[in-house]
Amino acid sequence: MMDKKAEKILNSRARLLDGLSRTESRKDAEEGGCGVVGFACNIPVRGKHIYEPSCQMHNRGNGKGGGIAAVGFVPEQLDVSREVLDSHYMLQIGLLDPTARTAVEKEYVLPHFAIASAGMVPTVGDYREVEGLDVRPPDVLRYFVRVKPDALDQFIRENKLEALERDDAEDEFVHQNSFKLNRAYYASLGDKKAFVLSHGKNMMILKIVGFAEKVAQYYLLDEFKAHCWIAHQRYPTKGRVWHPGGAHPFIGMNEALVHNGDFANYLSVSEYLKMRNVYPLFLTDTEVSVLLFDLWKRVYGYPLEYVIEAMAPTTELDFDRLPPEKQRVYRHIQSSHIHGSPDGPWFFIIARNNTTQKQFQLIGITDTAMLRPQVFALSKGEVEIGLCCSEKQAIDATLHSLAEEDPRFHPIADKYWNARGGSHTDGGAFIFTLSGDGDVKKLTCTDKFGFEVTLPSNKKHRNRGVEVATPQGSHELAAEIDELVKAGDADALFGWLSGGLRVWQYDTLGCALNKTVRAAGANDEKRTTVIKALTLLNDRRYPTGDKKRSSVLELVRSALRSVFEGCLPITADGISRFRFIDWHTRHQLRAPRDGEQTLVLNAAGFSAEGPLCHSRLFVDAYRLGWKRFIAYGLKGERFSGCGFGSGTEGVVIDLYDSVGDYVASGIDGMEIYIHGNGQDQLAQIIKAGKLVVYGDVGQTFMYGAKGGAVYVMGNAAGRPLINAVGKPRVIINGTCLDFLAESFMAGDALNGGGFVVLNGMEIDDDGNVHEMPLPYPGSNLFSLASGGAIYVRDPRRCVIDEQLNGGELVSMTEKDWRLILPMLEENERLFGVSVKEHLLKVNGRPMRPEDVYRKVRPVKLAVLAKKDDTE
Amino acid sequence: MSESPQTLTIQQDSYAHLRGREAMDTPSRFRNRVSKYRVFRSSACTACNKCAELCPYGVHVRSGDRMLRPREAFCIGLACRSNDFYCISQCPEKALSMALNPLFETMGDARWSADMILATWVMAETGDVPSGGLEYEFGRSGGGFDKLAFDFPKKPAISLDEEEIDLSVELNRSGDEAERISIDIPVYGGGMSFGSVSEHTILGRCIAARNWNTFTCTGEGGYIESIVPFAKHVITQVATGLFGVREETIQRARIIEFKYAQGAKPGLGGHLLGDKVTPQVARMREAVAGSSLFSPFPFHSVYSVEDHKKHVDWIKAITPRSLISVKVSTPTDVDMVAVGSYYAGAHIVHIDGSYGGTGAAPDIAKKNIAMPIEYAIPKVHKFLREEGVRDRIVLVASGGLRNPWDIAKAIALGADAVVIGTAEMVALECIRCANCESGRGCARGIATTDPELTELIQVDYAARRLSNLYLAWSKELKRILKRLGMRSIRELVGRTDCLMRLRS
Repeated sequence: MMDKKAEKILNSRARLLDGLSRTESRKDAEEGGCGVVGFACNIPVRGKHIYEPSCQMHNRGNGKGGGIAAVGFVPEQLDVSREVLDSHYMLQIGLLDPTARTAVEKEYVLPHFAIASAGMVPTVGDYREVEGLDVRPPDVLRYFVRVKPDALDQFIRENKLEALERDDAEDEFVHQNSFKLNRAYYASLGDKKAFVLSHGKNMMILKIVGFAEKVAQYYLLDEFKAHCWIAHQRYPTKGRVWHPGGAHPFIGMNEALVHNGDFANYLSVSEYLKMRNVYPLFLTDTEVSVLLFDLWKRVYGYPLEYVIEAMAPTTELDFDRLPPEKQRVYRHIQSSHIHGSPDGPWFFIIARNNTTQKQFQLIGITDTAMLRPQVFALSKGEVEIGLCCSEKQAIDATLHSLAEEDPRFHPIADKYWNARGGSHTDGGAFIFTLSGDGDVKKLTCTDKFGFEVTLPSNKKHRNRGVEVATPQGSHELAAEIDELVKAGDADALFGWLSGGLRVWQYDTLGCALNKTVRAAGANDEKRTTVIKALTLLNDRRYPTGDKKRSSVLELVRSALRSVFEGCLPITADGISRFRFIDWHTRHQLRAPRDGEQTLVLNAAGFSAEGPLCHSRLFVDAYRLGWKRFIAYGLKGERFSGCGFGSGTEGVVIDLYDSVGDYVASGIDGMEIYIHGNGQDQLAQIIKAGKLVVYGDVGQTFMYGAKGGAVYVMGNAAGRPLINAVGKPRVIINGTCLDFLAESFMAGDALNGGGFVVLNGMEIDDDGNVHEMPLPYPGSNLFSLASGGAIYVRDPRRCVIDEQLNGGELVSMTEKDWRLILPMLEENERLFGVSVKEHLLKVNGRPMRPEDVYRKVRPVKLAVLAKKDDTE
Repeated sequence: MSESPQTLTIQQDSYAHLRGREAMDTPSRFRNRVSKYRVFRSSACTACNKCAELCPYGVHVRSGDRMLRPREAFCIGLACRSNDFYCISQCPEKALSMALNPLFETMGDARWSADMILATWVMAETGDVPSGGLEYEFGRSGGGFDKLAFDFPKKPAISLDEEEIDLSVELNRSGDEAERISIDIPVYGGGMSFGSVSEHTILGRCIAARNWNTFTCTGEGGYIESIVPFAKHVITQVATGLFGVREETIQRARIIEFKYAQGAKPGLGGHLLGDKVTPQVARMREAVAGSSLFSPFPFHSVYSVEDHKKHVDWIKAITPRSLISVKVSTPTDVDMVAVGSYYAGAHIVHIDGSYGGTGAAPDIAKKNIAMPIEYAIPKVHKFLREEGVRDRIVLVASGGLRNPWDIAKAIALGADAVVIGTAEMVALECIRCANCESGRGCARGIATTDPELTELIQVDYAARRLSNLYLAWSKELKRILKRLGMRSIRELVGRTDCLMRLRS
């Protein structure tokens, strides 16, 4: 596979390695998964906006290593010309020991480089002014350089690199020069003095000992603009003395990589690299990851698709489902590079200046086993932005931060989704590409195979720059709404609003919502009706005409917020069914009295976890006698519903906005409604009760569940219901990434045991219900299961025996149908997925249940029944 | 409560007679117990009772006008020959003879030598170490704790009465909102699930833990209702299969143990073979009877240290006052794992070395994967100290600790306390046949869930034997501390200077 050029490049590195230990491949820093976030925007945006999502990820780091990278700058902010910015290497050297500057420059900068601009990266005067910085961040030298022609000539001559394009040889020169510098001033010293932070064109990396957002503060990046930003909170576990050199991101050539996870095969990957004269110096997973990327992309010249394949190989059924031509190529890639393929868990985010095609790129790649959480999002309107993060809450935080200062951005993305690692469907990777000249670029999002992720083209965002204007006929609108609210029928109000919304302009919708909010204030009955109706508007899908659902949702959620904020504060006099509590009044929590029923909580200010988490306040309130809860304004706060103990029938919790992890884990009787997407670890060990999610759910959903009834409107990520026992009953209207119901032990579905109904349906932004191409695309279904059942809607018989390891496909019986029908009917009531119109119709034709659904039930496996042979 | 599979209905009061720490003579439940020496009495015996008068160990007992069969287990054997009360030579009728028991020679293995097994039986029976004839300090493994010995001063710096020596250990040093818990001896019981062992065994462990104000652990098999009265002394496990883990059971426990791995089989997860999954066990775990139960090798929700923190935070959200213990095996980077656990909010880091495990762990894994505990303890202890957090976290060690000497050595190497499993099984007359996992389980009725086999052990017996074992260990630990001139077991932590390595 290696062509002559690649061979020449790799050979030229041999002499860099004199004296390096060739045998030892130790990992210096044990890394956990961390918090990672990245976004690419068609206009340059300020570094300030990486701040919010970074703060959101504090609980995914420990403040001992943080970093950011940025790609695509505004030349004026760097005091260089556009030409210099585009053509020159932006060499940034971090000085841990400021006195090393002279020697470093003398050895590694001045002799080789023609310098167009040089200086120190500006910082705040004293690092102690930045709260939370305990260690002085490195002084950073920044140069814009080209390799001197004679130095480059000599380099080419000495290394016989004549066959290379001159630009490629120059890249290699820069790369090797940084290696030498790092070796001399970082890796080989007990007392580390200096290291190259980054050396790519029109891109940079800064990292520190501290939380990532402190980078932005310390290096004064609040106002500094770039097209792509990535940030990383690190949670390493070794040593008290930290060097920012070990923090993410790491540099390749023109790309910066951050990583969430931990390789199982660091040594093997290091050996693979060493055989190619690539030597890690910082001894972390992340460094070798980017070295792999650089090797495959720049040295071997692979297309991005092949690089992704080498990183996250397509396996099992997914491989079989690839076109033969791809199979042929992928087989070669796998046989050549499997030893260098990082074994998960990992999730990479790469920001990249693709200099050859004049593009900026943001790439998110997940591993084949999908062991780390990851979410992608896309929004396109007047400005275009793509994001990928370890949690959805970080995406929401970024968008909120952007939308707050620039009305062209929107707080809710047009689309959120997960990647399926190593799959034939999307390849487990998505690439946001910014192309075009000038400051306003064009953003496209494609998957590994180059298929574009599209958004409905006929819909427009609301112009957030203007206030909602009062349209003509607003009095009639108000009168109609008052009438509906008075009637107390929330479904009718929802029906009327959603019906009108189809043709209304944004102003009319905004006005209608304002009137609705106003009507809610009159009394408790009306407030109840309005909350219900607005919640339906938030939860359900319905035609929005030429309006984008994201903009409609923004207005609806803001209306809901107004209704919640209009509730009587816990401290105020008066009588109301609703009482409002927030961070400032939390100590005034008391038992409900005088018919008080619902505690409405604004989550702002509460911690994501620990004693100051809102979940503790809920538990305290429950012990005082409160049974109904509403929480809104959540930004990833965790554990909602945890800690109530057993026998919580009658408790109802409604959660709005960005709910955090572990919601409903362990609940025993209560009902929880998540009015949007859920995150990871939902409903673990759930014993009894009900959980409804108006969106997707994340990793290890219902791990170790014992019971309960759960309804998910969208998809589940990896490993739902793993190790579930007892009698959990679940409907997933979409599908799962993979590993559904592994080691499922939930008895006999027909005799009180548990089951999963997998509908494989998709509800689009206009409320249309479609069948997905495959009801279950993963390679592993019901593995090692000994109990329970899966009812999969599969009229085209797409699920095959090869996906099962522990189960068999059998026909539905009348008894099965009678078992799942009541749940499907509840599902219809909750989400509008009709049994008759949607589920039992195929291509518009009504079908019998047994022709649509198939049952997967356990077979007695030898491995489960017998003692195994290891004894 | 109605879902409890238990057949026993138990009130705490029904075990009131088992309270207390004094020795409760609890002989073997088998008619012919295995002893190291056989003592024979020929028909020449006239029941003159001289031997009974001579023997200080109580081997000979007269009943009415005849001598009972010698209580061979107490005989110190050949070592007695030089004593003037040596019965064999003193017998006027030359009716007595003695020899090494051939059965004895077939028992045990290098680590758990036959001497040590029998000595443990004696401790469980009498509440003290054997008077002689049984080597219980060292095994024959030629490594590990068998190569470490205390280097006692000729005369301790201070002279102490055993009564003034303190064996208690504080388990919460973090100073956070969780409860302060102290145990009276530096030992608590490791996780054994209902399924791996019988209900009677579990109850016996609970009563002993109550008597000694320490803990035992449910393992990962659910929290059986009959031990709820002992909740103050029961740790519950959150392990990778999450079997039987509910908010209710978590909230019941003062200490929650996260089991990430077992030293006997790191990376392999739990595995209860189909045969042991009786209907009762299956009901407790809400799984399918007769089908093997796997606990996955990882927590599928925890693939990194910050996931672990989130996991710990979750349990704290459920039960803020409980202590969190993190049980891990001993990979080469166990020190980093320990520090990570500390930063994630653990109160106790529990490292489980490679020597532990019963028959249920595959032989290929035992002793071959994890680091031996005597290497892991000082590594973690030192690392935590360098990190400046040693006095904020409790380090607990397990994995093949067999006797009070092992415990003292583990503490001298840097642990605060230890967790034991196998030794408790031996106290219940386990012979270490290593068939714990097979069929309906243990032929001796310890590690079984078969209703008939379960009846081989009564709760009273188990409770007394285990309580006696703790008593014997406490006495011996105090003797060790007395010789070292230490007032408290806490003074011994990390005192590697008190240890020396034996030459072969």
